Amino acid sequence: MVSLFKSRRMLPYLLILPSIVALASLIIYPMLFSLVNSFQNWNLQTSAVPMGFVGLQNYQLVFTTTPFPDALRNTLIISIAGTFVEFWFGMGVALLLNSRLKGVSVARALLIMPTTIAPIVAGFLFRYMYYEQGGLITWVLTQIGFPVPPQGLLGNANTALGAVALADIWEWTPFFAIVLFAGLLAIPEDIVEAATVDGASGLRMFAWITLPSVSRTAIIVIMIRFMQLFNMFDLVLVLTRGGPGTASRTLSYNLYQEGLVNYNIGVAAAMTWLIVIIVTVLINMYARVAFRNWEW
Amino acid sequence: MTRPVYQKGLIYLALLAVMVFFMGPILWFWALALRSSASAFASPPQLLFQPTLDAFIYTFVNPGANASQLRSSLIVALGATLLNLPFSITAAYSMSRFRMRAKQFLMMWYISLLMAPPIVFLIPYFLIMSQLKLRGTYVAMILIAQTITIPLSVWLLKSFFDDVPVDIEEAAQVDGANWYQALTRITLPLTVPGIIVTSMFAFVFTWNNVVFPLILSNQSTATLPVGTLNYFATTGVTWNYIAATAVVAMIPPMIIFLALGRYIVRGLTFGAVKG
Repeated sequence: MVSLFKSRRMLPYLLILPSIVALASLIIYPMLFSLVNSFQNWNLQTSAVPMGFVGLQNYQLVFTTTPFPDALRNTLIISIAGTFVEFWFGMGVALLLNSRLKGVSVARALLIMPTTIAPIVAGFLFRYMYYEQGGLITWVLTQIGFPVPPQGLLGNANTALGAVALADIWEWTPFFAIVLFAGLLAIPEDIVEAATVDGASGLRMFAWITLPSVSRTAIIVIMIRFMQLFNMFDLVLVLTRGGPGTASRTLSYNLYQEGLVNYNIGVAAAMTWLIVIIVTVLINMYARVAFRNWEW
Repeated sequence: MTRPVYQKGLIYLALLAVMVFFMGPILWFWALALRSSASAFASPPQLLFQPTLDAFIYTFVNPGANASQLRSSLIVALGATLLNLPFSITAAYSMSRFRMRAKQFLMMWYISLLMAPPIVFLIPYFLIMSQLKLRGTYVAMILIAQTITIPLSVWLLKSFFDDVPVDIEEAAQVDGANWYQALTRITLPLTVPGIIVTSMFAFVFTWNNVVFPLILSNQSTATLPVGTLNYFATTGVTWNYIAATAVVAMIPPMIIFLALGRYIVRGLTFGAVKG
């Protein structure tokens, strides 16, 4: 962007300042609070104030008294698998929309509806359908001969995480479909025609023309969605509360459990910092790729 | 491009399956809100049933415990949207129009806030809002929502400011307007649609948020998503009430997204993909 008003050197910063001050004042306190208390022994149920300096003990307790490694593993599984499935499923739906047949615009407008719903509400939709007795998904799966465990898909340690993932896939595949479809529409017609004349079709057309054309868009939405999946909380709260056992516990839910259910403020604060470090590394990694050659 | 009929048929068939998969669960939940509690868990599930408005009447009219939550949701979402605008309009304008050494860093800072897990802020907010005697107030929820609405709006609005050619402003300056006049008389009016779109997204993001109201609201300021969770705490028969409450919570974002049309892509990608 061409720069205006070169003489006013402070003006651009003055205009950003209010937003920076507002955000910093909302964020610095919680961060400092967590940093300080991560070195304190403090359970809110026993004391209203911190009960003394304990060094790095809380960071150790994160691993010994909470299922942090399990939560990290579940979070990575659901983030990677969820993003992968949502992207390719979304790509498939986008290609269907791109057939440009009659009625597709109506389908496109309705298709986004799952994404508009609050994740907590999407959780209720699926909790209802997962019920062991009379739940729609349970009933359909039983009818087609799929062995639904007697505790239901959410109550079984082998299926709980997948069942949570399915709810997320349902809610967010339309997001990929709509964004990728917009990318497909932007592919110039003459490029497609030229490739067709050269004999490209089907898979080759997809691999050499379609996919490269939407790659920039794809990388950005993959980054956004991966991070949202990495932070997953609402769905877990409604569907499984991290259970059974720790089968579907995510990092965010683990932190919630330790801080706002067990009230172990010290251990939760240490966990906060571990999560912040992991997330910062991830965001930086992604942003470097997604915003490479970006025009600011 | 002309396609053989059988190919068209296959595409329509696939589209139909896709629509059933994505719309089915929503319609099934709407049906739950209209069912009697007896048929909620009938096995096999009943596609046809005698609809009743009992659940909506119980939740929103008599005794109508959720009616005040609808009001709370509106207050918090509207309040958070309005409060964020002055902060984000100025910041986004600055980010769009000026060359700054720290621009890339700041833009990344905003977006990293959008991608940070909200849970990490939850415990400190819970404690500090208790100490400030602000827990349970709309003010607390509206303030904390700014951690989402400001970064979202800065990114989204910047993309709309970028769409307004800088030449127009320069021309105005040549004609003797200062930067402020150029902004308020030329650029802002041209950005009004963008501001409206941004506000709609800020509204939906706040409306759909549950973690902040979950810990910052009390009984009289609880929002609709918290209301659905309250029915969930007690077991068994209240599924119809959850559904009725959730259906009402679903409707505003759905209407807004239908109105947003081609701006959906831009909003959901925080302006990074223009669509």
